[in-house]
Amino acid sequence: MRLINRVLAALLSLALIAVSLLLIIEVIVDRASHRTAVVNWHTAYHWAQRNTWAAGSIRVICGVLIFAGLVLLIAELKPARVSRFTAGPAESGASAIDTAYTRRGLAAAIRSAVTAVDGVRSSAVKVKRRKVRIAAIASAQDRAAARSLHDPIAEAARERLTALKLRRAPSVSVRVSPRSR
Amino acid sequence: MHADRTNRTMMLLLALLLIAVGLGAGAASIGLYGTHTQHSLLMDNPTGHFIGAHGIWLWPVAAVAGLIIALLALRWLIALLFSTDRSGDLVIRSSSGAGHTTLANGALTDAVVEEIEGYRGVNTARARLIGDREDPELVVTAGLDENADFTALRQRIETEALTHARQALGNMALPTQLDLTLTTKRSARVT
Repeated sequence: MRLINRVLAALLSLALIAVSLLLIIEVIVDRASHRTAVVNWHTAYHWAQRNTWAAGSIRVICGVLIFAGLVLLIAELKPARVSRFTAGPAESGASAIDTAYTRRGLAAAIRSAVTAVDGVRSSAVKVKRRKVRIAAIASAQDRAAARSLHDPIAEAARERLTALKLRRAPSVSVRVSPRSR
Repeated sequence: MHADRTNRTMMLLLALLLIAVGLGAGAASIGLYGTHTQHSLLMDNPTGHFIGAHGIWLWPVAAVAGLIIALLALRWLIALLFSTDRSGDLVIRSSSGAGHTTLANGALTDAVVEEIEGYRGVNTARARLIGDREDPELVVTAGLDENADFTALRQRIETEALTHARQALGNMALPTQLDLTLTTKRSARVT
């Protein structure tokens, strides 16, 4: 969201500069020669003198404004995806060091532990603030054999999380599917 | 940095403004302010009449307000495009107060990166100093090999590389952020 905000902020600031400069130019030219300079605002003025608040175009514009505002508001208020998982206090005793594993690093660490389990062909790991979701694919095509990997996979993931000594380890959920072909 | 806090505040204000204008005009459009307002012309309202009656001084004032807004928006744009959170070169003052040493920002971060990348099990490292040059914070990212002993490497980075950086700055309480991640390949380095 930070990157999107930067792009939106650049566009908004440019729009503000452009509109403000247009306003200044139009006021100066109107005062000097009673005509428009860049924007023919007389057209907009006459349109506003012809239309009532009940006009369909006004309702459409209002709907668009409310929708855009709501989308922007929800996007801004949505909690940011956690990017760091803080590690527990250092055994080294070093002070004022804020050590953490990145979300991608944590996912990769768990994926490598899960893939090392015998019988696992591949895995995908999604790390959220409180939960790690593991979707593994077994080497076997047999559903029962795949199901039997559930506990070893969960155990491997938990062991890896314990080894990383996170301050607050997320819970683990595992889904194992048999190899399709 | 890049004015992230200002960006978010401005986007929230814009969202609220859009909703308020949409709801206000929408309420007039569906007759919540009465049928008279609903069927009156867009310019036929107290605000429109005020603008019409005081245009002589109102538009020049609006132009001045526009100039102020344009300048503020320009400042915002410059902050967006050119601001950075990186510290400049660091000043290390002697304990006697007789003089000071200037330490190039890159000299310290390059030394930290070189030391960490020299550890077995570390594939890549990055370091930067952020914040005020008088009170900087060291931010280090280390990419560890997936087969490495994470705990041992963490301890080594903390007790060796980061401690050396703190000693170099003469500040054993230097705020430090260490981000550990897993990488599969060693980056190609140009020497």
